[in-house]
Amino acid sequence: MKILGWLTVLMCGALLIFNVSEFPDMGDANSPANSKQNLSEYFLKKAYHDTKVPNVVTAVLADYRGYDTMYETAVIFSAGLACFFLLRIFRKKGPKSRFYRHTPTGVTLRIDEGGKLPEESDVFKRIDSIWIPHDNIVRITCRLVVPFIQIFALYVIAHGHYSPGGGFQGGVLLGASIILIAVSNNLRAGIQRMSEKGAALMGSAGVLIYAGTAALCLLLGSQFLNYNALAKLLHIKPVVARYNGILIVEIGVALAVMAVMVWIYYNLSSAGKHDEGL
Amino acid sequence: MDIVVIVMIVLGLFFYFAGSVGVIRFPDFYSRLHPAGMMDSMGLLLVMGGLAIHVATGVATGDPKIIESNDILSAVKIVLIVVFVYITSPTATHAIVDAGVRAGLGPWTKKKSEDSDGKRMD
Repeated sequence: MKILGWLTVLMCGALLIFNVSEFPDMGDANSPANSKQNLSEYFLKKAYHDTKVPNVVTAVLADYRGYDTMYETAVIFSAGLACFFLLRIFRKKGPKSRFYRHTPTGVTLRIDEGGKLPEESDVFKRIDSIWIPHDNIVRITCRLVVPFIQIFALYVIAHGHYSPGGGFQGGVLLGASIILIAVSNNLRAGIQRMSEKGAALMGSAGVLIYAGTAALCLLLGSQFLNYNALAKLLHIKPVVARYNGILIVEIGVALAVMAVMVWIYYNLSSAGKHDEGL
Repeated sequence: MDIVVIVMIVLGLFFYFAGSVGVIRFPDFYSRLHPAGMMDSMGLLLVMGGLAIHVATGVATGDPKIIESNDILSAVKIVLIVVFVYITSPTATHAIVDAGVRAGLGPWTKKKSEDSDGKRMD
């Protein structure tokens, strides 16, 4: 089985390296990216006219180069899947005893295997065996900062058309805000906010939004990823349809990136057990 | 006003420099966090304050076609940066110290300076 894996990796690598010879040379003046009459010039001059998006980077990323970004999102999602398949353990091995804190008195209780576990409430809080002391400063500061991070993330996603930003950056910020909750409390606090199932669903929903928008264009009688076709559905001008198509796609990217970030964090920090973590 | 701005930014850079020297020169983990946290806060306050004043009082462009503009909104954003860093930076320092204590790293003392690295406090 190991040899099979090695063979696959080597063959994929060889294929990639083999294809490098097809690329134009570094700094080649006649390559499509560099030559005067070709791509760069066209993007810089026509991007606003074609898509009504002032930020050329966003126009290139989500429209001219839409295929690439779609597969980037798919790659991120498969990274999450790979972490899940490699690390996730469903057997409840975990520590034999659990620790609880009686909040009013601050007493820590250790309940061994077979003992009666108290109801999870404000009075009895379960704590990780590797981190027993109170850490109110970190917890409350993170709680204070998280909403601002999320607002800023939404701004970055929605404002990607006009300023640096977009789906990937906004998604990372959203994911970081949930990871911050998990780091400052414990892993279970993060899972309460966003369950593993929710993360998996949102990740796949993000990729589906992107690919679905593209396929919708195909169904409406245009090319795959040609947002012009959405004009018929939304009753707007084709150029505005491109503008909105980019926004929809960016939202899909943000969803996928956020969910996968959180999902990978859950699996890595608890070694796949989702019980106790950082 | 330009002189005030320049003095503030240069002073801020001095604090940053002192912070970096401190991080290298201090003997152990905990004392190194001290300059890293304190000097950064002061340096940030001075540099960002200087920038905020610079932006708020108007940018002399030198180009007669572009008139001087005073951008209050950007100044407020710069002040917000300071506010957020002042909330998060001490917390980060606190969390790092906590992690050090949790891992069992003892503080440095002059007596046993030879085995200060990674000596557990038991």
